[in-house]
Amino acid sequence: MDFVQNFPFFSIILSMLSGIISSVLPGKAAKWVNTAVIFISGVLSWVLLLYLMRKGESYTYMMGHFPAPWGNEIRAGVLEAGTALFFCIIMLLSLFGGRKKLEEEVDSEKHNLYYILMDLMLSSLLALVYTNDLFTAYVFVEINTIAACGLIMIRQNGRTIEAAVRYMIMSLLGSGLLLMGICMLYDLTGHLLMSNIHEQVKALASSGQYRTPLLVTIALMSVGLAIKSALFPFHAWLPDAYGYSTVSSAAVLSSLVSKGYIFLLMKIVYRVIGVTVFDDSRIIDVLFVFGLMGMIFGSLSAIRENDIRRMIAYSSVAQIGYIYMGIGMGTEAGMAASVFHILSHAATKSLLFVAAIGLTDVSKGSRKFIDLTGAAYRNKWAGVAFTVGSLSMVGVPLFSGFISKLLFAQAAVQNSGKMLPALIVLGISTILNAIYFMKTVIRIYTPVDSINNTADTAGDMVYAYKNRRSYTTALICFTILNVILGVSSQPVVDLIGQGLAMFS
Amino acid sequence: MRYIALSILFPIAAGVYLLVRKEPKNRKVLLAMTGVFLLLSAFWAALAICLGGKGMYTLFNLTDRLPILFKIDEVSILFSVLAAVIFLCAGSFSFVYMKHEQKEKRFYGYYLIVMGVFTALCFAGNLITFYLFFELLTLSSFPLVLHNGKKESVMAALKYLFYSLSGAYLSLFGLYFVEKYGNTLTFSAGGVISEQAAAGHGGILLVTAFFMLLGFGVKAGMFPMHSWLSTAHPAAPAPASAVLSAVIVKAGVLALVRVVFYSYGVSFLRGTWVQSAWLVLTLLTIFMGSMLACREPVLKKRLAFSTISQVSYILFGLAVMNGDSIAGGLFHVLCHGFVKAALFLCAGVIIYATGKTRVEELRGIGKEMPFTMCCYTVVSLGLIGIPPMGGFISKWYLAQGALSSGIRVIGWLGPVVLLISALLTAGYLLPISVHGFLPGEDYDYGKLQKKEPPLLMRVPILVLTVLSVAMGLLPGRVLDYLQQLMEKIV
Amino acid sequence: MGGNLLTNYGEAVAMVLFVIGFMNLLLQKNLIKKIIGLNIMDSAVYLFLAEKGYINGRVVPIIVDGIQEAETYINPIPSGLVLTGIVVSVSVSALMLSLTIRLYKRYHTLDLDEISMRLRKEGL
Repeated sequence: MDFVQNFPFFSIILSMLSGIISSVLPGKAAKWVNTAVIFISGVLSWVLLLYLMRKGESYTYMMGHFPAPWGNEIRAGVLEAGTALFFCIIMLLSLFGGRKKLEEEVDSEKHNLYYILMDLMLSSLLALVYTNDLFTAYVFVEINTIAACGLIMIRQNGRTIEAAVRYMIMSLLGSGLLLMGICMLYDLTGHLLMSNIHEQVKALASSGQYRTPLLVTIALMSVGLAIKSALFPFHAWLPDAYGYSTVSSAAVLSSLVSKGYIFLLMKIVYRVIGVTVFDDSRIIDVLFVFGLMGMIFGSLSAIRENDIRRMIAYSSVAQIGYIYMGIGMGTEAGMAASVFHILSHAATKSLLFVAAIGLTDVSKGSRKFIDLTGAAYRNKWAGVAFTVGSLSMVGVPLFSGFISKLLFAQAAVQNSGKMLPALIVLGISTILNAIYFMKTVIRIYTPVDSINNTADTAGDMVYAYKNRRSYTTALICFTILNVILGVSSQPVVDLIGQGLAMFS
Repeated sequence: MRYIALSILFPIAAGVYLLVRKEPKNRKVLLAMTGVFLLLSAFWAALAICLGGKGMYTLFNLTDRLPILFKIDEVSILFSVLAAVIFLCAGSFSFVYMKHEQKEKRFYGYYLIVMGVFTALCFAGNLITFYLFFELLTLSSFPLVLHNGKKESVMAALKYLFYSLSGAYLSLFGLYFVEKYGNTLTFSAGGVISEQAAAGHGGILLVTAFFMLLGFGVKAGMFPMHSWLSTAHPAAPAPASAVLSAVIVKAGVLALVRVVFYSYGVSFLRGTWVQSAWLVLTLLTIFMGSMLACREPVLKKRLAFSTISQVSYILFGLAVMNGDSIAGGLFHVLCHGFVKAALFLCAGVIIYATGKTRVEELRGIGKEMPFTMCCYTVVSLGLIGIPPMGGFISKWYLAQGALSSGIRVIGWLGPVVLLISALLTAGYLLPISVHGFLPGEDYDYGKLQKKEPPLLMRVPILVLTVLSVAMGLLPGRVLDYLQQLMEKIV
Repeated sequence: MGGNLLTNYGEAVAMVLFVIGFMNLLLQKNLIKKIIGLNIMDSAVYLFLAEKGYINGRVVPIIVDGIQEAETYINPIPSGLVLTGIVVSVSVSALMLSLTIRLYKRYHTLDLDEISMRLRKEGL
């Protein structure tokens, strides 16, 4: 066994340990530990990715001393390593971008708690990505939920606590269903390891036994994860949770947490249930339909929104709809498009959140559109970054959003049954996206009338945020990431294809 | 090959440079820089055309199968020459005109970017490249519309943005299908749809072709998505209106040329319901545009309605899909470009010198600015289509093409509509000249004062007028050129 | 179908409990009742697991008399899962309770909708 194969385990355990250590460290040290851990995990995933690409096949890694059917396992393929790397990058940048705001909004004695939660979040995300065991996945789903809840309510006001409670309730409903599904699957197959379950499910499907229980199981797990990742009718908690938490939390929650669940769902589809069985069930059509509805209703809610943060949050509902639409198409191409969209949306949405905070900050902290007028002139980098993010969301070529739309459409064209609804809704939703994002971009670039200008020079505090180097660096990195995904997407798409091939 | 890249990237880079650099203290520095940039851009484009040859130039690959690639063919040359001439004329005009507008630097910055993007659009070698720059064209020309930042301009710009983006997305559908059922996305005369792949999928392909026509038709102001044009074009400053109406609208025409003749192919579309529907839409647009222009009291708006109607002449020519009519249509691209630019610049001069915008205020304007109104009258005659002006030749070819096309009803209805519309054109353009030169008995000649604009404004108008007259007097070279092109694509 | 339900009455009860808990968590307005619902739901899952692991006539998998055959004992894995699950649900309940306390201290009510209404009035 190569030494590199230990890396997934290292990165999970390292982030978890750092969380424990941080509990006795002061805030500043915790911050550095956290940054270092995210960075190291990223590097480890990167090395692992290179190793796996060279090797060309995935491997399983035994945890402890019990071999396959009993013990716990980690499994790593190109897709897992790539996703882990990407999650690390996004998390690092989101933290960089929101650091100043965090210092403002959170009491200084709680800083180390925040970083503990971040460490836990990272470890649970990595575990979700790497694990080969369904029950372990469940446990880390719960850890993820708890950490996310903490990240929402670390900024203490009524809104965030309420948002955290709502988030918690919906998440618990989701994880309850997921747990039930896992238990039933265990009941049906007698295994907890994904690969073993997969074999049994195949046998069950071919013999036609336990048709209904299997269907119910798939439904329970899909719906559970759909609730947790805020698929359309279950999205009520999302705008509050993303809209009022501190900016790094919002960026991490929207771009990573929900994506972690979706990644788990994909794993379940590919590695546990199997694509063919999943395709045969009606659940896939349900996901497809709700994805489509999410794309439209999310955007409609976003158009009606008058608060920039909540608008971006609602747009997440629409984007998650895209991902479920891709999964719902039930083809390799659709799945690849969804994975790409996970990456592209993660890169774009966190960019938007971070840019939005820069804009609201130079507008006396107000998030209402009317006050954001001309904000882009007051904070140039945030303005440019927000524009880039918006264009990417709208799907203008050269940015990542266009490529994911292209991939979705190509996948749709190949699937004759779902082609028309997918393409039509894709078109409508794109136009709706254009409406609210362009509206915002124009708003922030509309110069303020000179008469009202006196109020805007409210002092240096307001402008302090503008020249933060870490903030600007984060914005630039996000923008570059976006353009890279948009301009040279082919390697990434190839990687996803390779990863999906390794998956099953 | 590198001239192509240069002709595209240079203006864009120059524009971005103008946007980000500090406001120069001396206005003249800004003007000089802009002027040099404009000339250089035109020069690079000319070099690209002369030396670029017929090869392809790949900038980079968006994905494996979708390269961003450029190539120069006859159609590119036609459109890019038009663009270069009008951008230069309107540019030099704006040096004076923009003096009384604010944020000049921003205007020139976007102006240069639009120029570069349009050149890229002309040189685009495949659908995806075309689509990319089509979107960029919308985004970069949109600040020109909202330039003065008033509420109505911003709303007009938004309307423009949404119509154009929606149109572009509508046409994006077609792109997916052309990619699936075609041999390649690269434009090639006669179309790329592969017969084997498309067999049995003709219906859906026709639907997507229609979507593309509708979608790209938005930019060309084709009914039913025309209403942005009459709002957005007048909202911009006069030089920008000239560019928008004379050049940017042609991006829609270029798009349709590329879609119909270089992607789907004439043989695929001729005789289908798509062609009939398209013909009906264009005729409706021609008629409706002219009618609306007649009723419009604001001069710039009237000109914008006229653009709607005139551009659909071109589209009608393309839709008939035979050699004569297409040649007529493409000939009209040049005619209308020069004439409409000249008309908008005249309107700009009038606003600049007198501040008058409504038609009924323009009584006696010919006495005040004889030169401008002379040019106005001459180019108006050209647009109406009085021989020997350019408009006559294009309409002649259009009518001839339609009559010999053998398409039922439209074959003769088309020329009739063209004729009616020509009368309407006379009806909405000439009264201004008539009242301008002959204000009537009760006109107070005492108040009259000479208000001729400065030289820098007169020269572009003169150049455009001369060009549009020349189009009518010496059409031979252009027509030969178009005939050669026709042999390839029909 | 009916016969299956009778023989597997434990699982059937677990399912009924699960639905009761789920509905409570979803529909109750009172936060404490929601948490009770959560606990019912989790307990139902554990009951289900325990039922699945139990095999009639066998004993707890603790080796006392030196009997090594697997046939003597019930399946130990579900019990292990239940233990893990209990840990998770305890921590989640604790978190929920602490959140509830905070909300109650701030707004003196346990009704989530009322809290939302007040928040809207505050305009936060």
